[in-house]
Amino acid sequence: MEMFLMVATVSLLGMVVSVGLFAAATRDGGSPSDVRPEQPLPLSPPRFFLTDRAPAAAPPRVPIEVLLLQIERHVRLEQAAAESFLDSPTTKSLHSRTTSPLVH
Amino acid sequence: MTDIRPELFTGLSHDEAAALLELGSRISLSSGQVLFRMGSEAGTLYLVERGRIALTLPMQVCGREEDVLVEERAPGQTVGWSALIPPYRFTLKATAPLETDVLAFTRSSLLEHFGKWPVVGYIVTRNVASVIGQRLQVFQAMWLREMQRLVELRCA
Repeated sequence: MEMFLMVATVSLLGMVVSVGLFAAATRDGGSPSDVRPEQPLPLSPPRFFLTDRAPAAAPPRVPIEVLLLQIERHVRLEQAAAESFLDSPTTKSLHSRTTSPLVH
Repeated sequence: MTDIRPELFTGLSHDEAAALLELGSRISLSSGQVLFRMGSEAGTLYLVERGRIALTLPMQVCGREEDVLVEERAPGQTVGWSALIPPYRFTLKATAPLETDVLAFTRSSLLEHFGKWPVVGYIVTRNVASVIGQRLQVFQAMWLREMQRLVELRCA
């Protein structure tokens, strides 16, 4: 019986101390206007499966002279393909694949 | 121009073609020289006699305006049909990428000749229509090929 009373007293005392500490902590929080909404954590966009990889590095910048040569080659190839289509107008010849570096 | 039959003279007799050739005056262009510029008034039709004529359009490439090759004309081919078709403005820039000779025919001299020889005028005009039609068909096919690629990218 004495043991039971001692445990109950200690528990009651612990509870009182806890309530006191809780009250002190909430009183120090300041006025409601000071309460700021919790800042959202900067989250990266969701990534799944393959998109979990790091973004691919930007392709190396092609010198403008090289790019102009590629454009010229592309135009010549496309013109040849178009003329080939006019010689033999079929869906296959119209959409024949090109080896142009601009496309691949 | 003796070896190559100009596309513009297809269907003309030898004498008719010779009479037309006499209307032309030869212009020699050095490498890189501009024959005409886009937007300028088109008063002269040209036949490529030797060399090449590059037809270009302006394009923004990496923030710079560059002349991009659209078409190249070889000996025997016609350049500058805008001289015969209203509103008589060149829609491309023509440059000689290498030493080139062209025969220049002014619109006024051609129309005067066609007035005297209507059959010649009809044949030449038909040949000009053929040049324009061929270019239209080529560009139509080129445009559709690009469209097809855009659609494939969209569906990928």
